[in-house]
Amino acid sequence: MQGALMLVTFLPFVFLAVALIVDKERSLAAAAISSAVSMAILIYITVFSSINATESFSYISIIPISFTLRLSPASFMLLIMSYIVLIAASIAGNHERQSQKLAASLILLLQVAASGLFLSGNLFLYFIFWDVGVVSSFFFLYSLGSPQRGPAAMKFLIYEMFASVFLLLGIITIYFGTPVHSFNIAYIAAHAASIPVASQITVFVLLAVAFLTNMGIFPLHFWLPDAYTEASTQGSMVLSAILSKFGAFGIFLLFAILPAGAELAKYIALLGGISAFYAAFLMMSHKDIKRVMSYTSIMEMGIILIGLSSLNVIGTYGAIYAMLAHGLTIALMFLAAGSMVHVFGTRDIRTLAGMVSNAKAAAYSFLLSTFAATGLPLTTGFIADLLIFIGAYSAFGILGVVPLLAIVLFGAYMYFAIEKSVLSTKKESVAVARTSNGQAFGYALLVGSILLFGMFPFLLLGLVKI
Amino acid sequence: MLAILVIAPLIVSSILALLLIRHGTIVKYVSLIGSLGSLAFIYAVSQNAVSAQSMHWFSIGSLTVNIATYTYPLNMLLLWLVGIITPLIFSYSIGFMERNSEQGRFFFEMGLFASGMMLFAIAGSLITMFIGWELLGITSYLLIGFWYAKSDAAPAARKAITIVLFGDILMLIAIVMIWNSYHTFSIGQIVSNPSNALYIPLLLIMVAAFTKSAQFPFHEWLPAAMAGPTPVSAFLHSSTMVKAGVFLIASLFTLYMDAHLLPVILIVGLISAAFGASNAAAERHIKKILAYSTIEDLGLMFVALGLGAFAAAVLLFIVQAFYKALLFMDAGALMRTNSENYDIFRIYGARMKKTLLVATLFGVVSIAGIFPLGGFFAKASIGSAAASTNLIAYMVLLAIELVTGFYIFRWYIIPMRSPPQSDTTRMRNSYKLLPKSMIAPSIILSALTAASALAYYYLPIILTQSPYVPGYVFGAYTGAAPTIGIADAAAETAFIAIGAYAAYLLYSRRRAPALYTHRLLSRAVYNAPLVNRAYSAFAAAFAAIGSGIYWFDSVLYSIFRAVALSAIEMGAVLRRMVNGQTSTYLLAFALGVVIIIMLYVK
Repeated sequence: MQGALMLVTFLPFVFLAVALIVDKERSLAAAAISSAVSMAILIYITVFSSINATESFSYISIIPISFTLRLSPASFMLLIMSYIVLIAASIAGNHERQSQKLAASLILLLQVAASGLFLSGNLFLYFIFWDVGVVSSFFFLYSLGSPQRGPAAMKFLIYEMFASVFLLLGIITIYFGTPVHSFNIAYIAAHAASIPVASQITVFVLLAVAFLTNMGIFPLHFWLPDAYTEASTQGSMVLSAILSKFGAFGIFLLFAILPAGAELAKYIALLGGISAFYAAFLMMSHKDIKRVMSYTSIMEMGIILIGLSSLNVIGTYGAIYAMLAHGLTIALMFLAAGSMVHVFGTRDIRTLAGMVSNAKAAAYSFLLSTFAATGLPLTTGFIADLLIFIGAYSAFGILGVVPLLAIVLFGAYMYFAIEKSVLSTKKESVAVARTSNGQAFGYALLVGSILLFGMFPFLLLGLVKI
Repeated sequence: MLAILVIAPLIVSSILALLLIRHGTIVKYVSLIGSLGSLAFIYAVSQNAVSAQSMHWFSIGSLTVNIATYTYPLNMLLLWLVGIITPLIFSYSIGFMERNSEQGRFFFEMGLFASGMMLFAIAGSLITMFIGWELLGITSYLLIGFWYAKSDAAPAARKAITIVLFGDILMLIAIVMIWNSYHTFSIGQIVSNPSNALYIPLLLIMVAAFTKSAQFPFHEWLPAAMAGPTPVSAFLHSSTMVKAGVFLIASLFTLYMDAHLLPVILIVGLISAAFGASNAAAERHIKKILAYSTIEDLGLMFVALGLGAFAAAVLLFIVQAFYKALLFMDAGALMRTNSENYDIFRIYGARMKKTLLVATLFGVVSIAGIFPLGGFFAKASIGSAAASTNLIAYMVLLAIELVTGFYIFRWYIIPMRSPPQSDTTRMRNSYKLLPKSMIAPSIILSALTAASALAYYYLPIILTQSPYVPGYVFGAYTGAAPTIGIADAAAETAFIAIGAYAAYLLYSRRRAPALYTHRLLSRAVYNAPLVNRAYSAFAAAFAAIGSGIYWFDSVLYSIFRAVALSAIEMGAVLRRMVNGQTSTYLLAFALGVVIIIMLYVK
């Protein structure tokens, strides 16, 4: 199977060429096919080869950097989520049918970034794919989206570059810290115990700053609401579902490779808890539906952080499952929000009124994604919440479960938003929005995945055998 | 047979309802058949008395989650209740929804609602129970908001889901805590090994049960939920949703006894019952009166549990399901004939449909607690339990009985008045046009209400007949039959009679100015607006914290901005310094030399 992971990572380039050649109506379909093919290869590898497949090619020989890709249970789950979201985003996300070729190319670049990052076996590759992701997201934000997207895009870029610098600094520090200088994640993990605790902590803090900025954790969250709000529907979907997982996956790796990270776990969890409550409260002052959703994202990221810093199998993989759940849920939310905005021309929940009679598919999707985000059983959110908080309780005791109350606040406000935007009747009549086939497919794919992985979690958890 | 299969027919019919959403007429029959199928499966399951089954769901690390069922006489009782009432409600819905265009959605949600309750009833593990529990919450939200275009439906749905969500999260916290001390989700294993680690989880579960069962201070969502279609109300109040909380406490009864939490349950139950009764006496909305009376009934069940009268609580649990479904069906029929008017003072001519009037009387007599219907046995045995253990509670119960007698006859008598002369023919017609599918369930339910009195005699046998897992659930209490003291029963009946007579005096033949007394009553006992204002204040407090944090967030951001801008400013200053002019550099050089000299030459 040598080369299969390589194929998964770089396949999008082939489709990028295809997307640029075919006419613009078909370019987004090319992007969707690319993700579907990658997903199929990935599942094939997992089922018929091994969930822990590794591939290595020599890359730069002066400083021994090899091109190492490795599959792991966490990366498998995150990739499945990424591909599903990318497919949904490329087929359903572009309501306005604007700049389809550009959007398709950027989605394909993001696919490369996501595949490479989640599969990367060394930190050097991690950094490269990180920047590929950041840069393509920046262009996504800068060239597509609402008229006010300019400043938001610049803000995003500044924060992410700030994160990038810390990331590079941390990676270089750890390179020189290892006995035989290496970027290889497996090697570092095996030998990290011999690195002095002080320098481990330094590395941890440097990298954590980068990752937390990317996740939008308090107090590094200022870029996030603007970026998610002003991006186009596709932009919001991929940014919130995939790009935010780069940081979360980074924290996961960090705890896995640096044993000294355990000392800082409680502070990270505290930050997560603060973020969750902070976002839940902050949400209440906003009436812009996409902004409210962005704060949802911050809240979920806080909860994921709590799961990761519980440092036990249940909590950690609960957090991974939560990343999958959050990716699917937030993508569905932004997709629904996108079509509401497209139909009603406004993002204010007070003027959206009556969606359920005018845009049924969007309304019900919004409803279901809210249910999933509040942890309704039989959706992915429940499995995630259950596992995270079982892990958190065994790590932090009663304090570990307090952040669940943030979900009550979030739910209370979301149901208020639903009452105003979805249920109440609109004063003047609005044309009923017809859901196109593409959009219907997008909704069905995301709703189906949320329910599938919520009802049959053993499909994933059994496949990866944790 | 796998117990979990009881929900299968309903699930299948719900999914079919969704698929056939554009073929409205078939959907209702599909759903009715589905509910009858579930009833048949319940019969099959009830053939083996105690059985535990479990299916692996998923596992991760040391955590294994099973979908487990456990059937034993107590939850088989609940399952039978749901199973019997579901087809009746569905049949009623066929008539009720005949003019509605969205039957597919309605029957889909109703089917899920019923299967949620069945799943909850047969759950053998905390996770399975929680799935049913949450399914109830979500589907009730959808059903209460079914007529989302009505101005009161959407806020009512939100109120319900917000309160229920709070309970759900507390429940999840409790489950998490229990797993961490027991490393199992199996209810049987947890109940048979009580320990101190359960104290906080039990407290959380109790509050969750109060939210679900609409107990003080969470009770106001229930009257608001009347904005939903009447079949939903009939279902929600009789055998599903609100009964889940009571049932949960009942099935964990021994744990609450060991944790000494029964007094708390008693007090909350008493307060809720008093609130329910007093508001019911003053309310004018025909369905809200019944909603408040449900709060009262549920309160009484909690009172019985709090007094340790387990069997009395179960008795009321059974009896209440039938009479409450019956009363709601009648209320729905009256509203329909009076062009959806809900004010009892604007509803006329209940006499015109004699079958309905008589059927309803069974419900009224039973809820009031008059011999010989089921309600009498249930309420009198609760009264007797109170009389022998807690006199204050007994006094409050008698007062509640008095008010109950008053409000239920008020509810029954007022709509019987004849309509204005001009309306008589039209009204007679609309009573005649009531669909049979709405009348038939009422008649069946009135028979069941009458028959439910037998539960008083059979309950001890039902609960003890079959072998239990040793120490499971309420081992020591199965033998304790509900008991009724003659004196208590007499006192109770006397108080009801006074209440009923007062209602008769005030509202029959217009002997008293009804509206005047109503206003007087309002001021004294109608505290619903006050409770709602308290809710709003609570929400406003959180919103205030929200705006505080919003302010903090903007301040923090301006600080970040200021730091960033000062970096730019610093750049500007530096730019001025490195401007390439020789004179500036020379000046700086000279200054530097002077400083160095001053430092070295002291």
